[in-house]
Amino acid sequence: MNSVRFRKILDAILVPLLAVLSGLVVMGILILFLKKPLFESYAILFSNGFGCQAYGNCIFITALERATPLILTGLSAVVAFRSGMFSIGQEGQYLVGAATAAWLGYAIHLPPVLHPLVLILAAMLVGAGYGWIPGILKVKLGVNELLATIMLNSIAALVVEYLVQFPMRAEKSTTAHSPVIDESAQLLAFLPGSKWGVGFVIAVLAVILVYIYLWRTKSGYEQRMAGQSKKFALFGGIRSDSAAVRAMLISGALSGLAGAIEVMGVHRRIMTGFSVGLGFDGLTTAILGQVHPIGVFIVAILFSGLKLGAQIGLQLKLDIPRELGGTIIGFIILFVAAGKLYEENIVRARDWLLSRRGSKLKGESQ
Amino acid sequence: MEGFFSVFTVELLNSGIRLATPILLAALGGALCNQAGVLNLALESKMLLGAFVGILAAFYIGNSYAGLLVAMAAGGLLGLLFAFLYHKYKVDLVILAIAFNLIIVELTVFVMRALFGNVGSWSDPSIVRIPDIHIPLIEDIPFLGPILSGYNIIVYFSWLATAVMFVVLYKMRSGRHLRAVGENKSAAETVGINAVLLQTLALVISGMLAGLGGAFLSIGHLKLFTRNMSNGRGWIAIAAAMFGVNHPVGVFLASLFFGFADAFSVRIQNVTDLPPNLVKLLPNLATLLVLILIALRSKLALSMARRRFRAQLRAEEASAVAEPSS
Repeated sequence: MNSVRFRKILDAILVPLLAVLSGLVVMGILILFLKKPLFESYAILFSNGFGCQAYGNCIFITALERATPLILTGLSAVVAFRSGMFSIGQEGQYLVGAATAAWLGYAIHLPPVLHPLVLILAAMLVGAGYGWIPGILKVKLGVNELLATIMLNSIAALVVEYLVQFPMRAEKSTTAHSPVIDESAQLLAFLPGSKWGVGFVIAVLAVILVYIYLWRTKSGYEQRMAGQSKKFALFGGIRSDSAAVRAMLISGALSGLAGAIEVMGVHRRIMTGFSVGLGFDGLTTAILGQVHPIGVFIVAILFSGLKLGAQIGLQLKLDIPRELGGTIIGFIILFVAAGKLYEENIVRARDWLLSRRGSKLKGESQ
Repeated sequence: MEGFFSVFTVELLNSGIRLATPILLAALGGALCNQAGVLNLALESKMLLGAFVGILAAFYIGNSYAGLLVAMAAGGLLGLLFAFLYHKYKVDLVILAIAFNLIIVELTVFVMRALFGNVGSWSDPSIVRIPDIHIPLIEDIPFLGPILSGYNIIVYFSWLATAVMFVVLYKMRSGRHLRAVGENKSAAETVGINAVLLQTLALVISGMLAGLGGAFLSIGHLKLFTRNMSNGRGWIAIAAAMFGVNHPVGVFLASLFFGFADAFSVRIQNVTDLPPNLVKLLPNLATLLVLILIALRSKLALSMARRRFRAQLRAEEASAVAEPSS
């Protein structure tokens, strides 16, 4: 591997890695405050978030299952950010996609393979449409996409809540939820008793496709140029406006896909409080993953594992509130945002190392 | 239809004003930050922090008014931290806000459970809700009396804050300076305005206001704390600030609009079978529309200016062509 590329990758990984380590240090401090055993806590967190005791009893598989929607909403944020759209509309797009899939899951009846395909396509279309709104508003009128997507998120949440409580509500249900989708529309799981299945494969495919799209195709290149420097893109003959709208369409489709998979693979229906901030978690995943598909993939699994470890490990075994998991994730994002703090020191450390190696080399040659 | 109109009562107005208060306080803070050119998306976390710290302080100190002060201090401190990280380390304010929105939601519940055991919400009989104030003379005015009187001090403070903010921003030098910083930071700096100080102040004051708004929820309106108590009000406050075009009076009206929509949607559930979620939708849609209108206006203004400039150029060219021949 050539050293320039290696150093680029190292630079991209170092800050998030240090941020994760700092987050774990904060966790240690909080655990000491609770007067719980420190090292045991770390051990339990990791064994219950990423561990695998035996075949069929593997928590890591649950982590992978939970990571699936995160990967997709994270990718959605990546595509938007890379083209210069600071969209935080993943939550809304995720919800409309989920509602679409849940509705078509029981409203129409199709044979097995066709049914999921139709649902996924429909959810992606609706999500893309919902992403298109802030995109076109930004390009045509200059409406701030950040604020527009905040509004669209709450609008989607209220509309979906209404749909679940009234038109889509299953009969005789005390808590509002929609009817269970047809068996033909459900996504298969790999193992009995788990929900890790086809959805995860789709997410992995999406990671690869988004990577290929952004870094190996012409329109992806246009999009990244438009994101990095609008003026430069313009000089190169790139229509950054249409690139931005395209990005929002793709971003919306990915979030809609996430919603569809969560409905078809995990819950089999949609209910009140469906989202629980999943869209926002996608955003944080993208930020920690250095706005890169591969980074998103790794971080999504890391986040899911941390949350699981806190939930079923720390809470049940050590009586530590499970909110510790979310807290650490928040701190990790904070440390990434404050990445300059590390970067200064990293540069200093690298210079020091290089100078040492340089002097050593000199010493050898003499 | 009779059922529909029976919704509009004095109680509806009262609860609308009460529900508008936390939104108004946070929205004023948000508007102040927008005017100073620092986008504050962390209102949600500052409110939640205020709600939690406020009720804790009220419990441990044994005085709910002290709880309000502590909540304000906590929000202000968080604002100060934001300003410090933003100015010293150039940390992106939006990402900072996203991080803190997450941290505060989880950390408040974490601390609550660490202190009081595995509970979903917490209250204590010793905590006293901030009492309502009945203003002697105003209370007796027919119709207006019951609407203007009978709220707690936070509600009146929010009205006062609106007025003070209007005076400071539009009638005082420091307010003009603050708006200048928001308009063009480097231009303001070249004429000797301390932009860093003003933006820091805006973030701190906005944190204090949002913190107080949060405390209104936990010890002013109810007397308990639950997970994610602010429940999106911080985001609504951002919308209200936008909707009110960052002007204190506009923000006041916008917040009332949101508060009434909230109260209305609660009431309407009891009286009619109109779905409450769709009523709550209206303010959000309206905000989106306002965003579009603001954008349209500035775009129109730009194209008008451009046209004027072109016309001027053409006129100059014509005269330049005409001059040599004469």
